[in-house]
Amino acid sequence: MTRLQTEALLLRSVEFSESDRIVHLLTPERGRLTAIAKGARRSIKRFGGSLDLFNHLRVQIDKRRGMARLEGAVLIDPFLSLRAVPGRFALASYLVELLDRVAPEAGAPSDLRRVFAFALAALRALSEADVTPGLRALLELQTLDVLGLRPELGRCVHCGRAPVGPGPVAFHVADGGVLCGACASRCDAPLLRVHLGTLRALEQGIEFGTARLSRISWSPQALAEALELVSRFQRFHMGIQLRSEPFLDQVVGSPPESGRPPA
Amino acid sequence: MQSSPAIERLVSSLKRLPGIGEKSATRLAFYLLGAPEEMVAELAESVGRLKQDTCLCERCFNLTDVSPCAICRNPERNAALLCVVEEPADLAAVEKSGSFRGHYFVLGGALSPIDGVGPDDLRVADLEARVHGGGIEEVILATNPNTEGDATAHFLADRLRKTGAGVAITRIAYGMPLGGDLEYADHVTVGRSLENRRQMD
Ligand SMILES: [Zn+2]
Ligand SMILES: [Zn+2]
Repeated sequence: MTRLQTEALLLRSVEFSESDRIVHLLTPERGRLTAIAKGARRSIKRFGGSLDLFNHLRVQIDKRRGMARLEGAVLIDPFLSLRAVPGRFALASYLVELLDRVAPEAGAPSDLRRVFAFALAALRALSEADVTPGLRALLELQTLDVLGLRPELGRCVHCGRAPVGPGPVAFHVADGGVLCGACASRCDAPLLRVHLGTLRALEQGIEFGTARLSRISWSPQALAEALELVSRFQRFHMGIQLRSEPFLDQVVGSPPESGRPPA
Repeated sequence: MQSSPAIERLVSSLKRLPGIGEKSATRLAFYLLGAPEEMVAELAESVGRLKQDTCLCERCFNLTDVSPCAICRNPERNAALLCVVEEPADLAAVEKSGSFRGHYFVLGGALSPIDGVGPDDLRVADLEARVHGGGIEEVILATNPNTEGDATAHFLADRLRKTGAGVAITRIAYGMPLGGDLEYADHVTVGRSLENRRQMD
């Protein structure tokens, strides 16, 4: 197909030359794609204010030769309330950067549609959310999950047994999941200590719809553990530091610094 | 084409300018080679002095040759009104409109977390100091009406309110551009124009 009519979310828009812009779009059919918007910086008539960050659009794309060209864009929803609260802006920027860096450019149609539907639902939920550190941890976890990076929170990643309490259990960041007591005692890699209650809240968070995430309540200890687990897991498995993280830390609150070396 | 090292050097410098490719750079270089001596000297002199003679105004952070700049020194202007813009070019645009007679503050950009630009990369602290320094009754947030500019305006409004400056904080209006056409405008612009409607005089 050389011409594509589709919905899209605008993940990034960069000035390319005096008159053109490069846009990064997330689409339900083609996943993440990059297109050039000719004349976007000069002509207000052509694209209007449609090429703004977070915008939900209906676009026409021409993929006939070389780089895809954005032929037209009609605004569906600019999610204006994401701009009105610094916490929402910070978390939306963070999630959109995550998608822009790692959302797939090709793959099974059902997977691509699922990523798009999730991104749209996340921005909708954020538009009305009171952004707390707990919501940050869960939305980040859901984003990682939809991108195919889901930590194992229920069974030991080495032997498959369920870890038992009542004390904290071990989480192996590099192997991506919890360890039972026996496997943890045989393991000399650095491990995070996490209570079962924290793991249960995170598991619940993956299953909940984005709009219901703020209903999960946290004890201060569980919240600190959850933030650290998600942040270490994300950094290790994606191998990148997101540029929008410092602002998010500043506005919403950061994972606690622990004395342990990064796993 | 065979050319001298001096020409090649100039061509490669010119090529780095926005909108100038190899062809235009070569044409400009040969044009200068054939141009009168005084004209070339004048150009070289003005390029050389550009950085030397330009500084930032210590009050508004606009580009100027003397600090404080002419706007900040002008006693005819209303010092109780402070218009916050992203860049010097925005200040120039407001100034050209002729409808503002207050003072300015150039923020140095807009918040853009995705590009790694946070409050510490902008002059947020300087703005707070300026507003808390007293004498200001209204801060007009004139950052661009796009996602980053809007978010920056909300962020600044929160900060200035929290630190209890007690000054009025306003935002430039959203609406239809002059010469615009309702039929072709996006529905958000049309909606905001209606929200921001005013009594006919
Ligand atoms: Zn085990
Ligand atoms: Zn000045």
